Amino acid sequence: MAIRSKIFCETYHEDIKLLNTYWSKAWMGLFIIGLFILPFLGDTYMVYMVNLCCIATVAAVGLNLLTGFTGQISLGHAAFLAIGAYTGTILSEGLNMPFWVTVPAGGLVAAAAGILVGIPCLRLKGLYLAMATMSFGVMVEYVLITLKGVTGGERGMYMPEVDVFGMVLNTDESIYYFLLVITAIMIVAAKNIVRTRVGRAFVAVRDRDIAAEVMGVNLTLYKVMAFALSSFYAGVAGVMYAYVMGHIHPEHFTMLHSVEYLAMIIVGGLGSILGSIFGAIFIVVIPEFIKILAQTIEEAIPAMAGKYDDEWNIAAFGLLIMLFLIFEPGGLNSIWQRLKIGFKNWPFTY
Amino acid sequence: MYFLELLVSGIAVGSLYALIAMGFVLIYKGTGVINFAQGEVIMVAAFIAYYLTKGFGIPFLLAVPITLVATALLGAITERLVIRPMLGEPVFSVVMITIGLSIFLRSMAGIVFGHHNYILPNPFPVEPVHIAGITLSHNHIWSMGVAFCLMVVFFLFFQYSRLGLGMRATANDQDTATLMGVNIKRVYALTWGISFLVAGVAGIFLANVMVLNVGLAFVAISAFPAVILGGLESVPGAIIGGLAIGVIENLAGGYLDQMVGGGIKDVTPFAVLFLVLMIKPYGLFGTKEVERV
Amino acid sequence: MSGKAKFIKTLLMTGLLVLLTACLAMAGGRGVTDKEITLGMVLVKTGPVAALGIPQGDGMIDYMNYINEKGGINGRQIKVIWEDDGFQAPKSVAAVKKLVARDNVLTIMTTGGTNQTIANMKNISRYKIANIPNAMALEFFEPLHPYIFALGALYEWQYQVIVDYINDDLKMKDKRIGVVYTKKEYGKKGLDAIKKRAAKYNIPVVAELVLPTGAVDASSQVLALQQAGANIVITCDVLPPIISFLKTAEKYNYWPQVFGFNWATDDLLVKACGPAAKNYIGAGFVGGWADDSPGIKLVREIAAKYDRKPKLTSLYIGGVGVSMLFAEAIKRAGKNLTPDTLKAALETLRDYDTGGIFPLVTYTTKSHAPAKKVKLYKADVEKKCLVPLTDWRSPKDM
Repeated sequence: MAIRSKIFCETYHEDIKLLNTYWSKAWMGLFIIGLFILPFLGDTYMVYMVNLCCIATVAAVGLNLLTGFTGQISLGHAAFLAIGAYTGTILSEGLNMPFWVTVPAGGLVAAAAGILVGIPCLRLKGLYLAMATMSFGVMVEYVLITLKGVTGGERGMYMPEVDVFGMVLNTDESIYYFLLVITAIMIVAAKNIVRTRVGRAFVAVRDRDIAAEVMGVNLTLYKVMAFALSSFYAGVAGVMYAYVMGHIHPEHFTMLHSVEYLAMIIVGGLGSILGSIFGAIFIVVIPEFIKILAQTIEEAIPAMAGKYDDEWNIAAFGLLIMLFLIFEPGGLNSIWQRLKIGFKNWPFTY
Repeated sequence: MYFLELLVSGIAVGSLYALIAMGFVLIYKGTGVINFAQGEVIMVAAFIAYYLTKGFGIPFLLAVPITLVATALLGAITERLVIRPMLGEPVFSVVMITIGLSIFLRSMAGIVFGHHNYILPNPFPVEPVHIAGITLSHNHIWSMGVAFCLMVVFFLFFQYSRLGLGMRATANDQDTATLMGVNIKRVYALTWGISFLVAGVAGIFLANVMVLNVGLAFVAISAFPAVILGGLESVPGAIIGGLAIGVIENLAGGYLDQMVGGGIKDVTPFAVLFLVLMIKPYGLFGTKEVERV
Repeated sequence: MSGKAKFIKTLLMTGLLVLLTACLAMAGGRGVTDKEITLGMVLVKTGPVAALGIPQGDGMIDYMNYINEKGGINGRQIKVIWEDDGFQAPKSVAAVKKLVARDNVLTIMTTGGTNQTIANMKNISRYKIANIPNAMALEFFEPLHPYIFALGALYEWQYQVIVDYINDDLKMKDKRIGVVYTKKEYGKKGLDAIKKRAAKYNIPVVAELVLPTGAVDASSQVLALQQAGANIVITCDVLPPIISFLKTAEKYNYWPQVFGFNWATDDLLVKACGPAAKNYIGAGFVGGWADDSPGIKLVREIAAKYDRKPKLTSLYIGGVGVSMLFAEAIKRAGKNLTPDTLKAALETLRDYDTGGIFPLVTYTTKSHAPAKKVKLYKADVEKKCLVPLTDWRSPKDM
């Protein structure tokens, strides 16, 4: 057998396959196994952080569908998470619904809200759209606080523990598997959306919406669809969040959180599903790394002891976002792609 | 009478919003970017003024120009370090840079200035002015006056000066502007310097009305509706938007608050903004973008 | 095949390792050795609300250092790990998990504000974290939560005392109350309590207005209050908005009698507002900085020793007080110190005297409720501080 030095695709179908080599299948298999034994390797704290990563991933993938693929900037993503989270909690706490109702219901209600926002926003572009979605976020926050009877107002709401066919998932380790499965489904779904007609239409709208319309892409349909899909993801992430935290409150879904999701997809890479995953993990985990780094420095250099302030952590976070954009505008995804290509072609780097 | 008082105090607050909004508009006009770090600059300027007057005992009238020069310098440095490398990148990435900058500045301010509440010594007479039975503080009168003067200055600047024209050209199309001989780098540095300076002015006025702490930075968020309402690239729009939002907010607070159970004052500007954008997608005075394929 | 076998082997090994470390951790007693006790706390020290967390945290750490210098408790030194949560519930939950799982602390002395503590409630029971939250809420002790010990008088009680004072002691004719509150939990609680209490005394509440925490301007609120003819204004908001409110009221030459609750009862208010604060009366559940009681003297001594100049003195005092309660409980628990014995020791406190920092503290196995005692302070514009107006008072039974 001849040695394959490159991937050769003979049909379009082959080209857009999710995993197109044996090696990528093998790596993926290993990765999944790794994910399954993860809780045994780390402590509760780490598992909790991974859970947060899962939630952020789903939310970021959703935002990337809207902002990265379709080019519609949204500063109200957290509001859709809130809608999902509250829907899920109301169904679960008030009506005692199981998770296989609450999770999709949270997503669907959020998607409906997404359509409601998407239609009037059709005419808006760029930063004006960002501001309109931001206003929507502020209004949702206000409604959540004011509608005391439904949402608990300033008290927030309690979410019961998730019950998976009789198994109550009340530890971080057990809920981790639950989140992992949902996250995996959502990622695969997103991958499939972007490699089919819908995804290509999104990209066409992003690149030049008028040109796309001329070529027969229904602008209204696809823009609204992007809003709906993105909010569906946000809604599902919201329900996941409610299950993990056990308590939700309007303050968990503010504009600053929307900005955080935006930061995720930009650091990770716009218009890339893998990038959203990288970005989500990066934003959730990086403060932790900075802290550990600071502690190591403190221990290594006695003169530095006691100088550490948590505020440095946040400053470094802001700095990192800036440095990233200046030196790596394509985000983590482009670093990854370069690494992969370099590795594939090694030792001939060109 | 009650209505009139609400109206006037609304205009007074609105003039502060207008000052903040003008900083946003200047950057947008010069570079096509919304600077999310504007609020942080306002806060930093207020802290500089505080330390100059309280810490070094410099008289207020001298402290103001020093503060303004310092903020303008900060603007030029910011531009040189983080904005210039982004020349030619998509607008969206630059906006994100400013978000990073805002996080950075806010926490640096926390480290440098601490997290306490400060009060900027009030340079204006405490006794309010009574005009035809309406009470107004000196601070508000001054901020209205300054906002108006700045509006006139910038209007003339953009309309008639070479540099102003260059700034508009740059915002419109970077590549074409470069080809036409506009020195984009200088335009950028100037834009950021001037805009930060305006933020400095806003900071000095705001810190007199509000309590000075790191949270002052969030005031810029309340000015967003004013910016968009007036249209992102219109200086008079910023003033009118600011005044309109101030008045709307105050009237909502004065009349609706009792009826709807409170908090309506905060959310009304955003609701109004949302509605206006539905009808006029580029704000009241924004220029409609003409698209060609 | 061998690969798979190896994999299973590693899996088993890691499983065993995890079990082993878990067992070791159990055997050693959480966070306690013969020489040292490790305690944690989760309090905000970054972001816009950091001003509230830092003085309290400083007070807690300073007191423990003071104890350490005096030889520690039962021969053990105390180490305190302070985790920041930025006043956000998810970060607070993460911090609690980190302190328990990584730092292996005996307990977490405080888990932050109301939202953060509520989000942590499940973890608090699961990990047996005896704690005194830095907030007041009914669900902390009603129904009894086994590990949460309430800090001070509920917001409702504070406002009841204020309205009692208005009815009984305030010399004023034709009393008309205006309420300025914020859309936070404490604002709503305060408003409801004021309305109920005032109705019982037949004092009209003529205006209810929202003053957001980040308000640029309080003109519309001041004007509306003036319009409604309120001569008493009760505020349910934190310091910065109240400072702007008082300054705006001064501008409009509006001088009602103003009241505030514990988060706005601090010397800073008088320093910041100057003469505008002359009609201010605040409720609090800690002693005043200028008090002559032994507890407050100790607080001033500790602050001088560690070179602290707390801006928000009431919070620093509260911080020292919380540490004092934990130190006492650790002492009472003796050599066999575990989360359970610590909790049991806290429940043995009966009329424990902090020397004027808090009112007498009592926790029992049946109730972790705080003392129903509030002190009113009056602004002294000349001395730029708050001076006690009343002794400890309870809301009257009605």
